[in-house]
Amino acid sequence: MLTCKETSYLASKKLDKKLTWRENIDFKLHIIMCGLCRRYASEIEKIHIMMQKPGKTGLSELPKSVKLSKESQERISKALGKVLQKLEATGNK
Amino acid sequence: MAHKLSPPDQWLSLHGDVLYRYGVARVRDSEVAEDLVQETLLAALKAKVNYSGQSAEQTWLVGILKHKIIDYFRKASRELVHEYDDSFVNTNEDDYFDRQGEWQVDFSLWSQPDKSMQQEQFMIILQDCISKMSPKMAQLFVLREFDGMSSEEICELMSISTLNNFWVILSRVRVQLRHCLDINWVGQ
Repeated sequence: MLTCKETSYLASKKLDKKLTWRENIDFKLHIIMCGLCRRYASEIEKIHIMMQKPGKTGLSELPKSVKLSKESQERISKALGKVLQKLEATGNK
Repeated sequence: MAHKLSPPDQWLSLHGDVLYRYGVARVRDSEVAEDLVQETLLAALKAKVNYSGQSAEQTWLVGILKHKIIDYFRKASRELVHEYDDSFVNTNEDDYFDRQGEWQVDFSLWSQPDKSMQQEQFMIILQDCISKMSPKMAQLFVLREFDGMSSEEICELMSISTLNNFWVILSRVRVQLRHCLDINWVGQ
């Protein structure tokens, strides 16, 4: 019988790769007996699914309130402006 | 249909914040993220003649940023390899399991956020929990979960020698994360 520690490892690996036949049996046997691991496995799966969401739905992982600071906006804008000028000067628009 | 680019001097105001959020969620450092935005836009200026119009402007820019982020991680992991190797291997896992390998943390009932408001709150707490991890653990987790990079690619990028090591680390990250969410989210 696996320990909870070993089971937590398989619960996580399972989200990444199909378990081997043996691993799968060991995992299921433990899960049947152990409510904590059962809950753990289902929770990390939920977290896993939720973390995939932003990428798929075009949502950002961070709220809209996270923004470039004014200073960095200006700095970047300056740096871009310089290069743009150069490009225009060489006729490479 | 082919997409068209807007004038480059508008890129920053149109996409700057989106690029910044994307970057900072991954590199977890606002200054680095700002620099990456700048590098991305500069690289885009140079690459715009090759823009094929197959993807929308923002997607195109995010694609360039992705490469910049990977370059950054590659460089960082080369530099940090010695510094973090130890903390990487013996994260205080014993905080979560006893000697017999049984759980020794509390489990509260955990509910999945269902509304978008909750989703947003959840993401804030999630970010907070990720920032409590060691930098390398955080990096590994973010690459795997946000970017869906393959385990093999991450191993290569972060000089992790075997897939088994990768899974061990990932498992520790998840135990730690679940515990952190347990404390910060369930109580809501």
